[in-house]
Amino acid sequence: MRLDEFVDGFERDEAAERRRLAEEKSYAITDYLDDVERQFEQTVQGDDLYGSTAPEIFVGRSNYPSVSTGLLSPMAEDADPTQYATSGDWYQEGYGIDDVLQRRTGLLNSTRSAQVDVDDVWDGFVGVQREVAIADHPVDVEVGLDAKPELDLSLDDISTPTGPRARATDADLAENPHVPRPVEKTLEDDDWQAEGAMNYLYRRGFDVYDINTILSAGALGQGRNRRLVPTRWSITAVDDTVGQYLRGGIRNEQTVNEVQVWYNEYVGNDYWVILAPGNWEFELVELKAPGSIWNPEPDGSYYMAADDESYEGRSNYVDETSGAYYASRLAVLEHLEDIGRQATCLVIRHASESYWAPVGVWQIREGIRHAFEGEYATAETFHDAVQQLAPALPVSLTDLRRKSTMVSGIQSQIGDF
Amino acid sequence: MFNAIVSANTLQATLDSVGVLVDECKIHMEEDGLEIRAVDPANVGMVDLSLSAEAFESYEADGGLIGVNLVRLQDIAGMADSDQLVHLELDEETRKLHISIDGLEYTLALIDPESIREEPDLPDLDLPANIVIEGRDIDRAVTAADMVSDHIELGVDDAEEVFYVKAEGDTDDVHLELDTDDLIDLVVGAASSLFSLDYLKDMNKAIPADAEVRMELGEEFPVKMHFDIADGEGAVTFMLAPRIQSN
Repeated sequence: MRLDEFVDGFERDEAAERRRLAEEKSYAITDYLDDVERQFEQTVQGDDLYGSTAPEIFVGRSNYPSVSTGLLSPMAEDADPTQYATSGDWYQEGYGIDDVLQRRTGLLNSTRSAQVDVDDVWDGFVGVQREVAIADHPVDVEVGLDAKPELDLSLDDISTPTGPRARATDADLAENPHVPRPVEKTLEDDDWQAEGAMNYLYRRGFDVYDINTILSAGALGQGRNRRLVPTRWSITAVDDTVGQYLRGGIRNEQTVNEVQVWYNEYVGNDYWVILAPGNWEFELVELKAPGSIWNPEPDGSYYMAADDESYEGRSNYVDETSGAYYASRLAVLEHLEDIGRQATCLVIRHASESYWAPVGVWQIREGIRHAFEGEYATAETFHDAVQQLAPALPVSLTDLRRKSTMVSGIQSQIGDF
Repeated sequence: MFNAIVSANTLQATLDSVGVLVDECKIHMEEDGLEIRAVDPANVGMVDLSLSAEAFESYEADGGLIGVNLVRLQDIAGMADSDQLVHLELDEETRKLHISIDGLEYTLALIDPESIREEPDLPDLDLPANIVIEGRDIDRAVTAADMVSDHIELGVDDAEEVFYVKAEGDTDDVHLELDTDDLIDLVVGAASSLFSLDYLKDMNKAIPADAEVRMELGEEFPVKMHFDIADGEGAVTFMLAPRIQSN
């Protein structure tokens, strides 16, 4: 998929509204922000030179192709920077919404505006940022700051939240970053299409979090196409690309031989995954509670969103579920690849009222990845499974049937008759 | 050996009927005409087409088999005006198809038929309901259903003696009923099945508005749609597997 197609899908961008929601829901967070401010005053030294260790980068999407691009680094002096980078480990450590917001608001985003076209830019601020992105450890950097930071808790449904921001004048590396061999390889080959390079890194054991940072820094793809990719777009681009790669691998596999229902709960979200015998087909249905974030229904009812793809996949960006679709599809495909099977797959996500602030699409990816660790239930048929689930769902079976392509009917094949 | 001259009109209608389901196909060049059968990669939609030698201006064949890239062949056929003649000749030596249209020469590399997905037999189903309907009514039903949903129910109401079309979306519904006055013919029988609109829309593109389409329907069974092309010298059958609601 081309990047400009991603752009079309993203319209809900009302930062102020999100901040209001976040602030209303938990005073702990606003208290914490005060602490952050104090910490920041202490950290920034007299001449505004700021030494820190940066685990991650951030590329904004407003005003593309002239974007704001930043180094994220923890402000607390005793902090372990690896703990601040978004990764699947956050799930393992049982982070809740508050934990995530605390981690991320403790990161200073030192930003500059830059043109996204970065083929061969390895010096200056953007160069330092790219070095940080491709390194396998957090990198010591010195950042010159222009002005006092603004405290601005920024939330987004796809990217992980970020904390205070300050304008940077320049940045220098304080060490020589270590770049893993496969990343060097993709970096050096400027004749390699980004999709192929992403899949190569994935096969070499890099998780989508690492690949996303590398792609975001414009370090993958054919030379003339290399540019900074806004963090939000790059997350979805990596989920989609790796997902398509995995899908290609399972499409000729045998199908699962029974109807399985898997479940997991994470940060106020319930996930049910139904795998049924049949061709690869996928649908994500999201049920968003009144009071949870991203529920635009004015009358306090459940908001339902759904997107699906058939055996041959989709040709356009999803309409209703945006990045959640590609994150959940990736998690399911990883499981199918593990067991060497294909399946007809329905994912139902229930965002309950306790999901009060978006922590990023990673929680969906991890919530579903880890659903496959538990026990599963079986059912006679796909529709039996849905019927048995129905009482646990916050919407009626009739409403679900109207919304969900799969619940209304499962595609059969000519050979079945 | 294959050497034939055919009107661009007929060639385009033939290729379009198959091209809505697959990108490549096998063409059997029998002595009495062409035969094409193909199923889409998901095994959901199928087409069975025959074009008799009578449909051609001239036709010579001796039972050969070729594999073609339909997308390219459609592009080439699209270069001709509908009343122009297209000359097709197989070069056995080079395994290429020579196509000429009014001085324009195109040499099409063929695909090894072995590499193309095996075409299944058209299942012999005893479907209880038979509806003969104009192509334009199918188009109307499909277009309206597509406004609200991505699937469509086709059925027959025994008691009322009507053929009906239903589509249910998130919030909106579409319902269309055609009785014996609206239809060319109707043999009632228990029938209601749900189908993917993606497939039905594609098939609909290949059905001429003025065609008489004979539709066979059952209860959660595939639908078969038969219609003629090339002034009755060609016959197309589409078959589409249903979306199952009961199990």
